[in-house]
Amino acid sequence: MSARRLALIGAVALAAGVVPARAQILELSLSPRVISFPSSDPDALPVVVAAPVTVSYRIRQNAGSAWSLTVLAGGDLISGPSRVDISNVTWTATPAPPFQSGTLSKTVAQRIASGTGNVANPSSGSVMFRLANSWTYSTGTYTQTLLFTLSSP
Amino acid sequence: MIGWVAGLRPASAQQVTDTATLNATFSGLARLTFSSSTLSFPDADPDFVPDIAASQGPVSITAKARTAPNGAVTLTVQASDNLRSGLDTIPASSITWTASGPGFVAGTLSAASPQLVASWIDSGVHTGTQTFSFKNLWTYPTGIYTLMMMFTLTAA
Repeated sequence: MSARRLALIGAVALAAGVVPARAQILELSLSPRVISFPSSDPDALPVVVAAPVTVSYRIRQNAGSAWSLTVLAGGDLISGPSRVDISNVTWTATPAPPFQSGTLSKTVAQRIASGTGNVANPSSGSVMFRLANSWTYSTGTYTQTLLFTLSSP
Repeated sequence: MIGWVAGLRPASAQQVTDTATLNATFSGLARLTFSSSTLSFPDADPDFVPDIAASQGPVSITAKARTAPNGAVTLTVQASDNLRSGLDTIPASSITWTASGPGFVAGTLSAASPQLVASWIDSGVHTGTQTFSFKNLWTYPTGIYTLMMMFTLTAA
């Protein structure tokens, strides 16, 4: 190979190198976006189950790379001066895999689903949140925000 | 050369987010349970047994309540009437109790007004006992006397 041809290949390769790789295309949506635990007798219902949340997601241009879906609580459940530790909220999810069960955290994002490669067609999972019921909770309406993040790699 | 080119490709980490709101409602609630719903005081000689203990021994009480933050929770008892056997009566105040457990207090039964059994602050589950006794006197007419005790658990 001549020196001139090597230089030409180098130039072509360098040009290719600075062209940005095609970024993954990720889509995520939740329905419903409000998760409610109704008031109930702790003796009759030690665990309160909310209506399931459907998580719809799509992952493209991600061949061979891992992806994960996490959830992070903005804090404890809050009602004025009262709070209920967010770790009292757990979830179960289907299908498994890619979905998995877990416990909410306000400090570390918890994995709710993971996989590898593309999810060409929109897929969905069902997540059921559960609250450990207790007589020790003060009366009130408590609230908190959950942040779901779909990321790759 | 090819490897070098691949190495130059920037890692393209991507992420998308969505949020949900979590709501939980806890309404006021109270539950009261007893280890026994009947108290019996057996007959005895007033000279030897001036205070008759209930045959059932201490009555265990479990009070569960959900209340507002720093809300008061109170348990009271009131007799429906004096002890009555036909036309004969014995004052309800002839029945007294001692108590054990956080928040529980000793007292004397009354048909006229509720008497405090226990009090607490905040939601929670509370347990204690009441040990009842009956003031035995020679003056009581013979008979089988009864009354009802109404316990009320209140969460503010």
